[in-house]
Amino acid sequence: MIVVLAIDALEHTLVEGFNCKNLMQEFHGKTDISEFSEPRTMVLWSSFMTGKNMEEEVMALGDEGMWHTKFDIKNTFFDQFKDPKIIDLPGFNYIREQHDKERILLKQFFDAQSEDEKKSIRTEYNNHAFEHHRKIKQEFIDALNEDYDFLLGYFSIADVIGHLNFGNRAMMKMIYKDMDEIAETIKNNYIVLSDHGMDKIGMFGDHSNYGFWSSSVKDFGNPKITDFAEIIKENQQVK
Amino acid sequence: MSVEYGEIKIPIDLIKKIEERVKETEFESVDEYATFVLEEVVKDDDEEIEEVFSEEDEDKVKERLRALGYLD
Repeated sequence: MIVVLAIDALEHTLVEGFNCKNLMQEFHGKTDISEFSEPRTMVLWSSFMTGKNMEEEVMALGDEGMWHTKFDIKNTFFDQFKDPKIIDLPGFNYIREQHDKERILLKQFFDAQSEDEKKSIRTEYNNHAFEHHRKIKQEFIDALNEDYDFLLGYFSIADVIGHLNFGNRAMMKMIYKDMDEIAETIKNNYIVLSDHGMDKIGMFGDHSNYGFWSSSVKDFGNPKITDFAEIIKENQQVK
Repeated sequence: MSVEYGEIKIPIDLIKKIEERVKETEFESVDEYATFVLEEVVKDDDEEIEEVFSEEDEDKVKERLRALGYLD
């Protein structure tokens, strides 16, 4: 089984800073996403799975429409596998109700006038994200024990929580340590990949202009996110 | 090697606040949360402190989230 741990907004400096050994593996580095005008989640994951820069195509759907992007498996490298399992990936099988609600709560947070109201909405927003994270984590751990030939687990927690809490270092460290423990449960060779990282704006977080990768097998240097379709296909042929 | 545990006294009001905070996290108890925070303080006392809310930061991040398609 080839495994990809796809972690939205996993920040290179925090993976190293928190010494997350299972996320770093033997080789790790930053991805080059400079070809994209902005580090947009839907554009980057779409480009990852198709192996092509999909910015123009995804952005043509508009700010709201882009969240409904859904590529057919035939247009992705997942089609190379006989029995792939993909969990909650943007642009493929993203759980829309979950992520739509995240954006609704985010909007409510910024529209709220009082500090008390903001605090209450942030609590609801955080709880909503953590509850989803627990479900995805269980589904991923269960899938590791099945006979899939390819498994990709997409974890949105570092991005969702990071947008409203990135200045809370203790909370972010807890999330990174949890992701590190999830990586520790993988017994096969695996790739860790993020679409972008995160920069701190006070207590908030903004997407940074590079992503993260790691591997136990090979040093990929400073790859583009679109390179991974080929990298993973080659890995499959080697096996 | 098993870990040995001891007791410390902290104000009840603080425990209640931690109980509220624990509900927003992956921690399962006040003990677990307090242990984690104290380890952080002891290990990383040169690390940055938690940032506080500012309207200027909020305006900046709102503008960025609009550019990224999260907000209208």
